[in-house]
Amino acid sequence: MLTLQMTLLSTAMSCVIGIPLGLLLDKARFPGKRIVVLINRTLMAAPPVVIGLVVYLILMRNGPLGFLGWLFTFEAMVLAQTILITPIICGIVYTASQRSASNIRAFAITMGASRLQTQFLLIKELSNEIYFAAIVGFGRAMSEVGAIMIVGGNIRYHTRVMTTTIALLRNRGEINQAIFLGAVLMIIALIIQVIGGFLKRREERTDENI
Amino acid sequence: MKISNIKKEYDKFALNIKSLEITNSVQNTIVGATSCCPNNEQHNIYGIIGANGCGKTTLMKIMAGIIKPDRGTIDNEGLTSRDITMIFRKPYLLHDTVLKNLLYPLKIRNIKPDNNEIEMLLNMAGLENLTNKYALTLSGGEQQKLAMIRAFIFKPKLAFIDEGFSNMDIESVALFEQYIQKTKDTTWVLISHQISAIKRICTNIFFMSKGEIKAKGETIELLNNPQIKELKEYLQYM
Ligand SMILES: Nc1ncnc2c1ncn2[C@@H]1O[C@H](COP(=O)(O)OP(=O)(O)O)[C@@H](O)[C@H]1O
Ligand SMILES: [Mg+2]
Repeated sequence: MLTLQMTLLSTAMSCVIGIPLGLLLDKARFPGKRIVVLINRTLMAAPPVVIGLVVYLILMRNGPLGFLGWLFTFEAMVLAQTILITPIICGIVYTASQRSASNIRAFAITMGASRLQTQFLLIKELSNEIYFAAIVGFGRAMSEVGAIMIVGGNIRYHTRVMTTTIALLRNRGEINQAIFLGAVLMIIALIIQVIGGFLKRREERTDENI
Repeated sequence: MKISNIKKEYDKFALNIKSLEITNSVQNTIVGATSCCPNNEQHNIYGIIGANGCGKTTLMKIMAGIIKPDRGTIDNEGLTSRDITMIFRKPYLLHDTVLKNLLYPLKIRNIKPDNNEIEMLLNMAGLENLTNKYALTLSGGEQQKLAMIRAFIFKPKLAFIDEGFSNMDIESVALFEQYIQKTKDTTWVLISHQISAIKRICTNIFFMSKGEIKAKGETIELLNNPQIKELKEYLQYM
């Protein structure tokens, strides 16, 4: 399953980069922070084809990373997806930390937690939000066509994933097959959500007045 | 703990503390006050009183190391962050069960829980039948009690409690006051608006007004015979 491999790998990479970045962005105080946040917000909503184009330009034979020979490969698709999803995960984690990270840090001090224990506690206490960020990223990576079409080239057995196959089938007029694949994609999305739902912890009582 | 020349500014508010000392010794070191009971093993329990917004919580957070002052010095006299705790007015509870919350400070210290001690604390808080309940679904008073025993369990040397009894029922308040009075290895500092409670358990008082400590001294002396205008005004509604 090329689709799942690509989606899982790029979501995992985005989490590894995006979660610490989101926490750091909340904690750090520096001039120009508002601009960084604005850039982050913009990248969260960046059109995939634009990201695809940029990655294409970077990876093309005489581009800065052209020597890697990644264009029209699996690696290129993962790279484009990672660039696409990392800002989303970073942005969601940042927003969540803004709301509760300072409370968690203050609590950690009252308990005498070390710095490492505090970081660990932050991730544990924000796990619901981090999980949400990962699911949103995963969903975006799985459903996306534009970027991976440009950098992957939709080559059969090589860089062709479910979404690009659906686009191709539609172009050829094989609508029934396209619908079938679309349904399979939806079912995979559902299964992922159900599995995620089991991992998710219980909801807290957020409003005492109800 | 000794702090001096502390300054902390927020917009429209400035905290200014020239000097303040908190000790657990029998001898009373507050300037101008004489030790009340030389042969009694009395330990100091401090109360901080003052109107809303006068800076009590801010001062407490600075002493507990939660926020940094803009300037000034804090001498912990050998205590580390492992020895000092603060209980917030609105406690932070972990997204976990009551028991996991209670044991958290022991877990991060690699201390094996003592079952008798845990049972005693849970009973005091009336939480013995709720150990597996998800902590964030507890009532306000139950949350406060959990936060209290979670701080008590690791035997801090210095404990700051910010309006920690405000949602508790009267029996619980009495039980917690007893615990505080008999736990003499801990130096206690309490913020409360309940002057009656302050009178019951505090040996010394700091009275704050507009970001400054306007009066300090032994509880009885200070409350029965307030010398300054602000304190008289503050006490007039009692
Ligand atoms: N983080 C903050 N940012 C801005 N103002 C603050 C902050 N914390 C406290 N203040 C202000 O400082 C003043 C004192 O607050 P506080 O110490 O909480 O008072 P209290 O004596 O009621 O505990 C209040 O006017 C409050 O608005
Ligand atoms: Mg306060």
